[in-house]
Amino acid sequence: MSSTGSEGGVVWLDRALGVAAAILLFCLMAITTVDVIGRYIFNWPLRGAFEITELLLLTLIFAGLPLVSRADEHVTLDFIDALLGDRCRRILRRLVDVVCGLIILGLAWRVFVKAGKISGYGDTTDVLFISVGPFVYFMALMVLVTAIVHIVKAFLPPPDKPKVFDPDQVSPT
Amino acid sequence: MTEALVGLGLMMVLALLRIPIAISMGVIGFLGGACLRKRKIAPAMAMVETKVYDTGRNYTLSVVPLFILMGNFVTRAGMSQELFRAAYAFVGHLRGGLAMATICACAGFGAICGSSIATAATMAKVAYPSMKELGYSDRLSTGSIAAGGTLGILIPPSTLMVIYGVMTETNIGKLFAAGILPGILATFLLCVAVQWTVFKDPASGPPGAKSSWGERLRAIEGVWGVALLFILVMGGIYGGVFTATEGAGIGAFGALCFALLRRALTWRKFLDALVESGRTTAMLFAILTGALMFAEFVNYTTMPDDLKWLITTLNLSPIMVIVAICAIYVLLGTAMEELSMILLTVPVFFPLVVHLGFDPIWFGILIVVVVEIGLISPPVGMNLFVLNALLPHVPTKTLFRGVLPFVVADVIRLGILVAFPAISLWLPSMMR
Repeated sequence: MSSTGSEGGVVWLDRALGVAAAILLFCLMAITTVDVIGRYIFNWPLRGAFEITELLLLTLIFAGLPLVSRADEHVTLDFIDALLGDRCRRILRRLVDVVCGLIILGLAWRVFVKAGKISGYGDTTDVLFISVGPFVYFMALMVLVTAIVHIVKAFLPPPDKPKVFDPDQVSPT
Repeated sequence: MTEALVGLGLMMVLALLRIPIAISMGVIGFLGGACLRKRKIAPAMAMVETKVYDTGRNYTLSVVPLFILMGNFVTRAGMSQELFRAAYAFVGHLRGGLAMATICACAGFGAICGSSIATAATMAKVAYPSMKELGYSDRLSTGSIAAGGTLGILIPPSTLMVIYGVMTETNIGKLFAAGILPGILATFLLCVAVQWTVFKDPASGPPGAKSSWGERLRAIEGVWGVALLFILVMGGIYGGVFTATEGAGIGAFGALCFALLRRALTWRKFLDALVESGRTTAMLFAILTGALMFAEFVNYTTMPDDLKWLITTLNLSPIMVIVAICAIYVLLGTAMEELSMILLTVPVFFPLVVHLGFDPIWFGILIVVVVEIGLISPPVGMNLFVLNALLPHVPTKTLFRGVLPFVVADVIRLGILVAFPAISLWLPSMMR
């Protein structure tokens, strides 16, 4: 398979964010477990587990967001596909990606503003005094990346075959 | 009322144009919020910022990725084989016994996995070949797997209950406890549906070999892992030893230990489970954030009050309203993807239900049951799609017809749960 520069970049981003999400989620599990075991068995709870969990979750969600957009896993209603021909369907896909990209771009702007505000206050967590600002900047950055993913997708050639339903993928329902 | 209806309509238009539901709801929530505040953009933008940030930085919500992770480890650990064998040892010798064993095994799997699709997919791999071998009709075997799979979201843990609990600020531990008795009722009624099928057509489900008590005991031993995990997580949450979030963390860790003990995990599978859970989490949070923005808009309109007023003036009895809501859900569920259906409608229905004096926990169970029905009711039912993808040689028509007795059993169950709220509410009422 030949991969152009942008596709190579997408693959690289996919891997990097995937590994990041995996590590974050593993830490989330480990911290909760260590906290519970520490508290009940050794009577020694993990200090600040609460706020580490919060920040890990925040980072996890936003690191995962570009992955979801890239894999086309957002919940959509696809009734319209049945009404459209192949060509129209592809054009609609691209249009939707552009629209989504622009909307998310707007969101990224607002989250950057929010990050600026939070950094400005010098907001820290209560127990461990972790500075929150950088985390919100990370959020904003990831929202921006998600917007770019959508816009890039709109201009990339469509995938060879439509995505088949993958039953191994554990869906929320 | 008008603003809310226009908003709902526009949101549906966007969603039907294939814009992801999360974005459709978020955009309408934002625009609607701006319109209602005399077209001032600033407060609406502030609302968006706050919702995005607060949903992300929320300790309670870490329960979501942890339960998803637990489900992902459990499916990879391959505990379904033992569950099926154990259930078979007890009911396999009856007519339609394998189908009933499938349903019981699904119930057991549902006790450690919060996803109905994962349950159906896992069981299809184990149960279908056995039923095929014994000469079961495709209608009965696929129907029982699809229907049994839905027990995954009713028997705790349940991802759907977590989502409902988060949206409506209902206690997740109590929701879990509320799912246990309806889950047992569901298992029973689905087995009745199996019996009805083999009563009509005895050739569709011939009996298997009878197991001796020694074999039964040995088969039971095989499922100690599942039992331990369930008792640890649910017992811990029910007994108030830990919160739902902590239970989820322990559950994910326990599932990981089991997968490791059984040498079912390669590095690749381990990483896949984590990444997939991460993606599912992000997807859920996107849609949850959108739904919360939309709910903010709906609650700011006069719609919730207008609906209450409408019900008072029309002199509708509260229970009629519940029946109507359930009927709407069952109808919508045949054609709509269930998660979006719930996220779209709960902001509208929930305030009404609480206003009428009903218990949010009970309503949560009803929501889960209507989603279960939606998952197996043709033409659009995710569990049917799963089986279609896993067993491509079974014609869709067979699938659709096979599942019908089970849909009927589910609708009967919905009726029972509406009529007797105590079935859902008794266990949670005993908590602390």
